[in-house]
Amino acid sequence: LLWKESWELGKNPMASKGSALHGPRIKLIEKAQHLFFETKEHNFESKAAEEHSKLLRIQHELEVATKQAIFVDSSISDTIRTCIVLGNHKAAEKVKTEFKVSDKRWYWLKVFALATIRDWDSLEKF
Amino acid sequence: MAQIPNLGNAPINLSSIRDQSQKELLNLLRNIRGKKCLVIDPTLSGSLSLLVQTSLLKEHGAELRHLSADPVQTDCTTIVYLVRSQLHLMKFISSHVQNDLSKGLKRDYFLYFVPRRSVACEKILEEENVHDRMTIGEYPLYILPLDEDVLSFELDLAYKECQVDGDTSSLWHIAKAIQKLESAFGVIPNVRAKGKASVRVADILNRMQAEEPVNSSEPGLPEINTLILIDREVDMVTPMCSQLTYEGLLDEFLRINNGSVEVDSSIMGHQQEGKKIKVPLNSSDKLFKEIRDLNFEVVVQVLRQKATSMKQDYAEVTTTNQSVSELKDFVKKLNSLPEITRHINLAQHVSTFTSKPSFLSRLDMEQTFVEAESYDICFEYIEEMIHKQEPIVSVLRLLILFSITNSGLPKKHFDYLRRELLHSYGFEQMGTLNNLEKAGLLKKQEAKSNWLSVKRALNLIVEDTDTANPNDISYVFSGYAPLSIRLVQHAIRSGWRPIEDILKFLPGPHSESKKSGFSSSASYESLSGNGSLTNSANKINSGRRSLVLVVFIGGVTFAEISALRYLSAQEGMPYDLIVATTKLVNGHSLTETFMDKWS
Repeated sequence: LLWKESWELGKNPMASKGSALHGPRIKLIEKAQHLFFETKEHNFESKAAEEHSKLLRIQHELEVATKQAIFVDSSISDTIRTCIVLGNHKAAEKVKTEFKVSDKRWYWLKVFALATIRDWDSLEKF
Repeated sequence: MAQIPNLGNAPINLSSIRDQSQKELLNLLRNIRGKKCLVIDPTLSGSLSLLVQTSLLKEHGAELRHLSADPVQTDCTTIVYLVRSQLHLMKFISSHVQNDLSKGLKRDYFLYFVPRRSVACEKILEEENVHDRMTIGEYPLYILPLDEDVLSFELDLAYKECQVDGDTSSLWHIAKAIQKLESAFGVIPNVRAKGKASVRVADILNRMQAEEPVNSSEPGLPEINTLILIDREVDMVTPMCSQLTYEGLLDEFLRINNGSVEVDSSIMGHQQEGKKIKVPLNSSDKLFKEIRDLNFEVVVQVLRQKATSMKQDYAEVTTTNQSVSELKDFVKKLNSLPEITRHINLAQHVSTFTSKPSFLSRLDMEQTFVEAESYDICFEYIEEMIHKQEPIVSVLRLLILFSITNSGLPKKHFDYLRRELLHSYGFEQMGTLNNLEKAGLLKKQEAKSNWLSVKRALNLIVEDTDTANPNDISYVFSGYAPLSIRLVQHAIRSGWRPIEDILKFLPGPHSESKKSGFSSSASYESLSGNGSLTNSANKINSGRRSLVLVVFIGGVTFAEISALRYLSAQEGMPYDLIVATTKLVNGHSLTETFMDKWS
């Protein structure tokens, strides 16, 4: 039952997509995380929820910094790509370390992103 | 050419089933007086288009609309809804009614559920205070013939509902549909089922038979001799592989929907650009009937041959003096020209997809997955796909294949890949992963995989498959013989007994029963194994081949149907096969049912 309840919670924030207020959404996800945490077998889900709320916070900061509402609701990989495309390599690095993105994935993302903006020089150097 | 297939060549009288459904629909309209607006559930409109021409509906005074959240725009004072029993549709309808009320419009509402009303739906209408305002009925469309040998129960979500939501109402529908067939063609004496859902359907069927025995109007032998029920759960490997038959590839790339594909008119060689046209695909098209089940490599050759011979004939006509009768033959051949052009256009379009290196390497990989002998290569391939953020459905298809053939992934990899998926495609995919896990399609490894023994025992990987002159069903996947069809092959030949050891490795129980005689009191005895079916078939065999009905619960792919047609065409095969399914599927459409939609 607890499991089901936490699932409802996990789904809820996604349903309220597009709302300008991300505060309540993050809270909901955190609550879901705790619920998952209480049952032993949902370790994975709990961690995922934790990462999700962390991602939303970072995306929110990025949106404030860049004044562009393009980050929230995209995945971690998408966020890194967007950062590189915008030339904000420092932010991209930060997201990478924050979520322990493997080097393998990081290289793919960077190559794709640099190719998108035709930044051949950086691609060469890299 | 008409989209509604011609059923004249069907091994049993399927057009009578279609005519009956058509008549019921028209009667339903006729019984409502005056002009009316028929509001159709969009997912039903495809099915209805295979049943009745829209002009015929208009003749019965019906204006046609699709059901959506927006209020119905019409001058009619009578609204007739035709919907599946889905809860969200009830919300639409009640909002329509309330909208009309607030505007002071007075209308009559009729609501017909297809195929059957449900308590939950009516409850919603009651809560919204609109239940009293409508006349509620049922339109019992259980079976829709898609072609001469293919029937659909049109239950799109059956597999997901059973596996994830635990909603088994679709099984009742399937049993009801089979019973409907029995009342037309006689009680089917032999029943063989494999998989949880299949055995349940067989049980329900027995119960229905005991409660209200089917009175077959014509005494004598039943037209269908054997019923084979296969639960999709038993074989989820096959639908996840890319189909390589002509029809299968058309479906993979262009999505065949209710017996037709929609393509850009430029592909079909028309001038106006950007316009979509519908190309019907069924066996009324003689050329299509000839090539639909062939491996695509061969299709290209056949089409080339046809085109060259046409060219030759043309050259002969223009250069030599020919008699009138020869000319007549030539003109007759010319009549098939539109069909040839149509399929050359389609085949060319498909080959733009199949010649891509990415497609070929994917095929290679699928083979590697099914062979299940190089774990690391498979793992790395999926990992790279996720990192490149390739379309998630393609990734999931392979992941499901990977998980099933290994009976789950080791915990470390399971968690790793799930995490990478969430990172690449967003945490919203959590629901999808959860659904797949519930359905057992993606799981943690708990026991050693039996796939290798299944593969070996049923000879699923066939070396040197000759796609041009096939000698085995493996030609439909260029080397992999679909597990589901291998099971059918065994079930027809000898029943389950000889392969019981293998069946144990596959999900779900199996059952086998025989209804003795044709008395209405159903008593069952298990078949005594070897060859009994073939013997009884020989006894019955009086000129006409007897029939086997193969039912796939949870969907079937075109490639599997092709493989069955191939079996049916073999020499020494005492049966005609007809296929019934909850829905025609492919790996993409099946996987998509598990994805939660956030919109």
